[in-house]
Amino acid sequence: MGDNSRTKLSKSVLDMKFMKKTKDRVEKEADDAEGNAMYSSEITEDMKKSGTIFVNTSIMNCRNLIEGRLSFGGMNPDIEKIMSDTYVKQLEDAEKQNEKDVSDQEMAEGYSTLNKTMAKKFQTKKARSKKFMKPKPMD
Amino acid sequence: MVVNVGDVVLPGECLPEPRSNKGVVILGPGLRRSEDDSKGLTVSRAGVLCHKAPNMYWVEGHAKRYVPCKGDLVVGVVAKKSGDQFKIDIGSAEHASLSAFSFEGATKKQKPDLQVGDVVYAKLVTAHREMEPELVCVNKYFKAANLGPLSNQGFLLNLDSRLIVRLLDVQHPLLAVLAKTCAYEIAIGMNGKVFVMGRTSKDTMHVAEALLAAQHHDNVTT
Repeated sequence: MGDNSRTKLSKSVLDMKFMKKTKDRVEKEADDAEGNAMYSSEITEDMKKSGTIFVNTSIMNCRNLIEGRLSFGGMNPDIEKIMSDTYVKQLEDAEKQNEKDVSDQEMAEGYSTLNKTMAKKFQTKKARSKKFMKPKPMD
Repeated sequence: MVVNVGDVVLPGECLPEPRSNKGVVILGPGLRRSEDDSKGLTVSRAGVLCHKAPNMYWVEGHAKRYVPCKGDLVVGVVAKKSGDQFKIDIGSAEHASLSAFSFEGATKKQKPDLQVGDVVYAKLVTAHREMEPELVCVNKYFKAANLGPLSNQGFLLNLDSRLIVRLLDVQHPLLAVLAKTCAYEIAIGMNGKVFVMGRTSKDTMHVAEALLAAQHHDNVTT
């Protein structure tokens, strides 16, 4: 197959019924080559190497903002129907978060201090005790 | 000059190595990729640099001029009508274009009835530095949902961009408190334009006044 890709097959050969797979492949290769030639001037070596992709987004996604089309007190029933799926749920989630006595963050911190205390227990005495530094004599 | 998260930043400063997740970095407003360092970011707006784990960066600050951003929901005023295209004033440097076909159920024969001066709530689909911004009034399923033309009995006002961000925080109490005193509907655009409509014009003005007064309160929501 390796040699095959180098040799160019004539159009009439590719049009034969059993050559369908090869024909597709040859067409794809030609397409890729064309695309590469078209954009090669725009793509620098640096871009290929770094591979970091930057995606732009709205501040709504950054701050978890709600959609700004709202209706209250039955003013616009259509909007309130849509709101019941999104806004009301977000509101309930936020309330649930506020109700917690101990936030997730505090919980994690509490556990990590416990971890340290337990870790100390299994340390050797030598590692635990810091070397006592003799204070400098005062003049 | 190199900056860190939480710093006050100025346009032109760089963030050399943003944290990426699987090679992807998400940029909010106020940042763009730097031109000489393919891995770095350049700040394009003055403000405070914010970061959300794992890979989101943006700049928050006071801005009088709206800079369009892809995905923003905005309120705009029809400024010009030409054939199948509307030019919409969204407060940016250039008018945004809105096709008459990007409404739910619109066809060549059945176009939306929009006049110059009407207000629409729309989504920005393209926002580039070099190109005119483009709006649509349908979601990804080609349904109108909460987008589309707004009633012409309401009131349109311009608010500070920082207040907009605060209002759209689900925990901000102002909208819920106003809902207790009167029935109203509102369309808050990220561009600072806000459309309010109450049952009576007294209600409308009541809500509008409250929003204008809220601009002068500080950022603390509690």
